[in-house]
Amino acid sequence: MSPRRAPTEALLDEADASLLDLVDNVLTKGVIIDGEVMLGLAGVDLVYLRLTAILCAADRIKKYLG
Amino acid sequence: MSRFYVYAILGEAPATPLGSGISAEPLTLLTSSDLVAAVGVMDEPPVATREAVLGHDAVVRRLAEGSTAILPTRFGMVHEASALVDWLATAADGLRDALRLVAGREQMTLHVFEVEGAVEDAAVEAPEAADAATGPGARYLTERRRQRREGALPELAPLRSRLNSLIAAERIERRTTPPFRASVYHLVERGRSAAYRDAVESHRDLVRGVRLRVSGPWAPYAFAPEAVA
Repeated sequence: MSPRRAPTEALLDEADASLLDLVDNVLTKGVIIDGEVMLGLAGVDLVYLRLTAILCAADRIKKYLG
Repeated sequence: MSRFYVYAILGEAPATPLGSGISAEPLTLLTSSDLVAAVGVMDEPPVATREAVLGHDAVVRRLAEGSTAILPTRFGMVHEASALVDWLATAADGLRDALRLVAGREQMTLHVFEVEGAVEDAAVEAPEAADAATGPGARYLTERRRQRREGALPELAPLRSRLNSLIAAERIERRTTPPFRASVYHLVERGRSAAYRDAVESHRDLVRGVRLRVSGPWAPYAFAPEAVA
């Protein structure tokens, strides 16, 4: 019998996986120029985006990226 | 004075047409010594829509196709030209080191999830009392716990030994929300991502106590920040 899978894991194996990888790479990785850490993301601060990405709450991310 | 959105730092001008950016602005290059920044005129940082984030990555991928070495920048970087050129000069040594690391390579990602109820994983979480014991089992558990605390992901060791010939560099990012445990970023030679996937699939059964998901290839986003650290 397969182990029961947590919702977070199931979420990442489905369609939102590519979006979450995109957020993980494009919004939380990459060269930061001149120590800049906060971006003008139309009121969405990077800390929130980062936490959201880490928590894998795709439904919350989609509110901003959808 | 014009401000520029920065897509990537390159070790040379791309061999392919630059094309346009996420706001349909023509891309251009700013240079400082042997370093090149691929930029587009943009006064304000873009709104982080899905299309803009996808567009940023699409531009980075296109630039990567025409460049041997690329360091993607994080979404939303807008600066004046003079500030960019000054920064390129200041960060030059770190950027060159990072460009050498990523030259001819791309990023693959392994997302690692705990499997609920996994016996081995539970063993790793054995009580601290094991530290006081002296038997081989207790020592094993203590060592495993130490490795885990240090982010070594010992469960991946059997797989890592099969991937070694494909991996040029590794970065591990711990996750703090179970069951999401870590993301492991690997640099592989360009064109070897399929071999990497095949190796993971072929040896997936060797990994106990965690579940894996493979992603990529990506431009080497996870290996870029160290350039200017």
